[in-house]
Amino acid sequence: MREVAIVGVGSTGFRAVTPDVSYKEMMFEAATRAYQDAGNISPRKDIDAFISVAEDYWEGFSIFDEFVPDQLGAVLRHLFTVCGDSIIGLSTAYMLIKTGHFDVVALESHGKPSDILTLYDVVQFAMDPMLNRPLGGHPFFVAGLEMTRFLYETGNTKEQCAMVVSKNRGNALANPYAAYGADIDVDDVLCSNHQFYPLNQLDVSQPSDGGIVMILASNEVAAELSDNPVWVKGVGWAVETPSLETRCWSDAVYARIAADMAYKKAGIGNPSREVDFAEVDDLFSYKELQHIEALRLCRPGEAGLLVEEGETWIGGSMPVNTSGGNLGMGWALEASGMQRLLETVLQLRGEAGSRQLSDVDVGVAQSWRGVPTTTGAVAVLTNY
Amino acid sequence: MATEKITDIRHMLHWPGHMETDYIYTQGIAGEKFFSEIKENEKIYGGRCNHCGQVFVPPRLYCERCFRKIAEWRNLGSKGVVYTFTVVYIDIDGAKLDEPIMYALITFDGAEGGLIHRLGEIKPHEVQIGMPVEAVFRPQAERTGSINDIRYFKPQS
Ligand SMILES: [Zn+2]
Repeated sequence: MREVAIVGVGSTGFRAVTPDVSYKEMMFEAATRAYQDAGNISPRKDIDAFISVAEDYWEGFSIFDEFVPDQLGAVLRHLFTVCGDSIIGLSTAYMLIKTGHFDVVALESHGKPSDILTLYDVVQFAMDPMLNRPLGGHPFFVAGLEMTRFLYETGNTKEQCAMVVSKNRGNALANPYAAYGADIDVDDVLCSNHQFYPLNQLDVSQPSDGGIVMILASNEVAAELSDNPVWVKGVGWAVETPSLETRCWSDAVYARIAADMAYKKAGIGNPSREVDFAEVDDLFSYKELQHIEALRLCRPGEAGLLVEEGETWIGGSMPVNTSGGNLGMGWALEASGMQRLLETVLQLRGEAGSRQLSDVDVGVAQSWRGVPTTTGAVAVLTNY
Repeated sequence: MATEKITDIRHMLHWPGHMETDYIYTQGIAGEKFFSEIKENEKIYGGRCNHCGQVFVPPRLYCERCFRKIAEWRNLGSKGVVYTFTVVYIDIDGAKLDEPIMYALITFDGAEGGLIHRLGEIKPHEVQIGMPVEAVFRPQAERTGSINDIRYFKPQS
């Protein structure tokens, strides 16, 4: 059977601002590192197809796709852009290799939100123009609405969400790719400014700039390119509904459906036992708890207890977001999911430095497309 | 990665850009029904799928569960309950608001879904899930066929 492996990774960032480099230079830097990491391949002849994950409004271009090839070495080659999220990009690369027509595929994603002067207006523009946008206001009110109902239905608490922030900002201190490492405690979070009740300022991820490139290969060539390939055992993605009016407000249904799809492909029947660690979207503190439950890494309503009892911390039975998550690495737009993948790869290769987990073989990475979407994707990765 | 890097921040250049885009968004048949019932009759309408029996608010021309056409409208009145809520303390640029804004998802008896709207005539700490509320409409002459023809929802008197 044809298998798919990640054989190279390269990253730049993540930082709060990057006035010294253009987005193209950022991508060039990440790509150069990834090609070197994948046995020093040349994009001009060794890569069969390129995928970039980007969204016009985040980039400030109409038809941004056209601005991607040169900095990746993909001029005159086979490239397209996926709009969605980097784990949806990964799924696309996975499928290309599965067809048997492509052996080596490069996947790129970046975010440079510091170039967007009206970042939250772009988010607001993603909302329904007739039902939601005319109400005005900061679009993250949608997350406030969701957190209220999530806590109400599951019994998880605001304090447990604050613990997620403390854990992830702390983990980020040990991650050289993280922009927002900090030593903060639960009270710091609970006493930070009210923003979107029940969300306080420190419950909300801050934007960050950076880029990541990964090289995927079929099992036929993976061994030539890498001594420590990480295998993509399953991918999944799902959209719940575009309508704020009819969506579920307590559970991350999209993540549940995406995870079930990925687990099925990977042959995982009992995720809480078979998965060693996870990187999940935590754009808002409560999302980590909600996503842990959707990924069936614990029983419904128990994610808060896991963080409280130390199980999701480094050294616990189910470490989550050892990278620092989005809270620690920053919200890098479409590259946010790629951050989750990067950490999963580094942990499985044993290259996570002082935050390295011991004896890990199976990791799960999950992304969410952010407010106001109900779209998510999941990848199951292993090192065997 | 570049062999040369800029080391003097006073020499870092950028170019400002601005994207001006204007649109009209067509309301469509179901939108037309929904917004004109608010404007003309102070009524909130849903659409009933004859296949699964669900009433969806706001109404659409097709059922998102069955992918069947919806042809039956249901008057849901103007009273509902708070399903979930939030209180927003900052504006879209991050500046602190003088008065926080309360938003809620209001659900209606017998209907799936609801309406996102503001709450008014209530203090933030008084809002609760399950609280009965009713729509407060703008005066007829000021209505334009917009979701803002409802000013906000207030606690039922
Ligand atoms: Zn139906």
